[in-house]
Amino acid sequence: MNNPFREDFVSRNRPEPCTVVIFGATGDLTHRKLIPALYNLAVDGELPTGVNIIGFARREKSDEEFRAGLEELNKKVSRSGQDDEIWGNFIQSVTYHQSEFTDLEGYASLARRLDEIDAGRGGAGNRLFYIASAPEFFDDILLHLKSAGLNQSKEGCWARVIVEKPFGTDLATAKHLNQVVNETFEEKDTYRIDHYLGKETAQNLMVLRFANAIFEPLWNRKYIGHIQITCSENLGMEGGRGGYYEKSGALRDMVQNHLLQLLSLVAMEPPTDLSADGVRDEKVKIIRSLRQWDTPEKVAANVIRAQYTAGHIDGNSVPGYREEDRVSPTSETEAYVAVRLMIDTWRWSGVPFYIRMGKRLPKKSTEISIHFKDAPSVLFSALPGGVPGGNVLVIRIQPDEGISLRMVSKIPGTSLRLEPVKMDFHYSTSFGKGSPEAYERLILDAMAGDATLFARRDEVEEAWRFIDHIERAWHESDNKPPMAEFVAGSWGPKEADEMIKADGFDWRRL
Amino acid sequence: MDKYAELGMEVAVSQIDGELKKLWEQDDASTNASLMNLVVFTEKEGGLLENSRIINDLTRENACRAILVEINSEADPSIRAWITAHCHLSGGKKSVCCEQISFYLTGRVTGRFRNTVFSHLNSDLPLVFWWQGELSDVFTERLVSVIDRLIVDSSAWQNPKASFSRILESVDDNTKLTVQDLAWTRCWQFRASIAGLFDDSVAQTIIGNIEKVKITHHASDRNTALQILAWLAVQAGWKSTGKLLFETRNGTKIIAEIEASEDSAPISLVEISAGETVVRVSREKDSAHLLREIQSGDYHVSSLSPADPEPSADLVAEQLARGGKNSLFLKILPQFLELI
Repeated sequence: MNNPFREDFVSRNRPEPCTVVIFGATGDLTHRKLIPALYNLAVDGELPTGVNIIGFARREKSDEEFRAGLEELNKKVSRSGQDDEIWGNFIQSVTYHQSEFTDLEGYASLARRLDEIDAGRGGAGNRLFYIASAPEFFDDILLHLKSAGLNQSKEGCWARVIVEKPFGTDLATAKHLNQVVNETFEEKDTYRIDHYLGKETAQNLMVLRFANAIFEPLWNRKYIGHIQITCSENLGMEGGRGGYYEKSGALRDMVQNHLLQLLSLVAMEPPTDLSADGVRDEKVKIIRSLRQWDTPEKVAANVIRAQYTAGHIDGNSVPGYREEDRVSPTSETEAYVAVRLMIDTWRWSGVPFYIRMGKRLPKKSTEISIHFKDAPSVLFSALPGGVPGGNVLVIRIQPDEGISLRMVSKIPGTSLRLEPVKMDFHYSTSFGKGSPEAYERLILDAMAGDATLFARRDEVEEAWRFIDHIERAWHESDNKPPMAEFVAGSWGPKEADEMIKADGFDWRRL
Repeated sequence: MDKYAELGMEVAVSQIDGELKKLWEQDDASTNASLMNLVVFTEKEGGLLENSRIINDLTRENACRAILVEINSEADPSIRAWITAHCHLSGGKKSVCCEQISFYLTGRVTGRFRNTVFSHLNSDLPLVFWWQGELSDVFTERLVSVIDRLIVDSSAWQNPKASFSRILESVDDNTKLTVQDLAWTRCWQFRASIAGLFDDSVAQTIIGNIEKVKITHHASDRNTALQILAWLAVQAGWKSTGKLLFETRNGTKIIAEIEASEDSAPISLVEISAGETVVRVSREKDSAHLLREIQSGDYHVSSLSPADPEPSADLVAEQLARGGKNSLFLKILPQFLELI
């Protein structure tokens, strides 16, 4: 229904009052991210009045115990701290629903509970189901939601589902999950969350490209030599992460989702409009245009996998990957991956994209760097040292979000000497106000029915199609490409350096 | 001791740029940041010092080149200038600094003032002009022609009708000019809360049948209360049928009640009702929160949201952070002027 008072508050879609049901409510994600995100939306006055939150999980807990646990962690992690008055009001809307994920009666009682909430508002109400449980329960939860009729929205209302990653572990499991999801909820009501897309700089990518006239004319094979996307982490397998990581590895954990999403935003054509499908139509074309590394030989030539050996991070000695907690001493899981990608489109023909992701690298950083081709050197080639490097546009995703542009300048003096200089824009310097957490933006978008920053089914499946070839070559072929090694605290294996060097480039030094 | 000492180093007007450059050369650990030129104009005695303190706070979140101007037209013609920088730690690490140039002008200043300001703007950055107090003779078409965003506070004006008509003339001449009235900014959270409450399906049912609007305000914030009423009327398409009387599109009569109180927050209540349904946003004096409620029979929902800040400096900071063309304000302005 039309709300005439909404004018002037329309710079984003309108989040609607609803009941949020979080599956896996006793888990880390709920405590560290989801509840703090919902609370901070309340602090900012963005959370619609009348939002109820129900935590659904297996452990026995009273509402009070559940709330106390949420408060304990919220005080530690909430970006705005905790205002007791707001928290007191907010937490009254949070209740706990105990049930096994596999117990249909638990869903039936959930349905009754939701009906009671709706009855208070005239019988109708919107519902947002957030599946934050372990992935092995995704099927059960979705099927039982359907059995309990909770996937059906009441007239004039909506029922939506947010699914946390991983969206499968390969193409087959992703297709299966998507099928189960789509048998329960329509694709338009399905929100596959990739929190990287909720980050301020990722959202700014489209603004940078399409709201500034100077970049887009240069954004093609004619002017760009290559593009690098780097995601480095200095952490290893602390806190028992090794168990999860052993099953996923760097390629599936980060490249299949976050980094290919960033790649598609960097490389896509201008969308016809900013609608969710307008943007996602263009993004999926990029993933679909990736040249497939579909033989072990192609994988060996274009993908480097590696594990770290013992080394030092921040002056402290750290173990090698195979010595980490919950990691097999004979592990074949990659803690580092570097991929050369080719996008077979008119715009990007012949331009290599390089993605690298690794654990135990020197520092935590995610960035995209656009390396422009060199200017013709006819004028300055005779100078000692020539022209020092070309223009590089760097988009820093985290930390220290911002954009920098490297260019060449004359050193002041009577002689002609050239040096690279950097123009640097820092979000935190220019906009003192902190950005909301990615989850805040994404939850609000789901309440507003805006799926632009969520992955669509075809995007997920196309990404798995590309990844599956590599995984098969690594784990199932007769001539498996080797596992390289690098010392923890260094910038990755020499094989990755050689791969990019063979094309005439170097990894950017972060 | 010179009472202006806290404005920084006094410099000759002709030396300002050179002295600013030296200021940065002394300290290579700091980053100079600027997203806009912010001119703060006052004719209030001592306003320069007050505004310098405000800029120190404002630059924590709004990087700018600040140009502060105080004018005293009664004294003999003279001009004094000072430069300084306000530095804040960004993320606990980097020192981010914003330049401030302060001018104290006396005597007849119209032309001198304009040229002084124009010659010290950071090129290519927008000009935000915060005019404090009544519009005076210094407010001329030539001055307004270079301003991108004009910030005023109509609650401080004796004759808002006359002042707004001068501003509207300026808008006609300078179509890129955005006008921000702090009286309007002062009720942003109230308006956002009301809009949010009407997303609720129960509240939506009364939109066409509203019977009563009650607004309670502090005695000095009548303009804000009237702007809220004007906004409701314009957005819902109500027809004015008399003093504080309206009619909805389907003919329902609406009575508006505007109540002033000395012991109130700037706005302490906006209540919209039809039959047994009441949509209410309220604020206790000095509370940092608004209470948003919908009551309809047994149905009752409520939540808290942040209150609008009260100090003018905080309102300006809010406005700068929000940006926008503020076209809705121009849309409700004729209705507001009718209500005054």
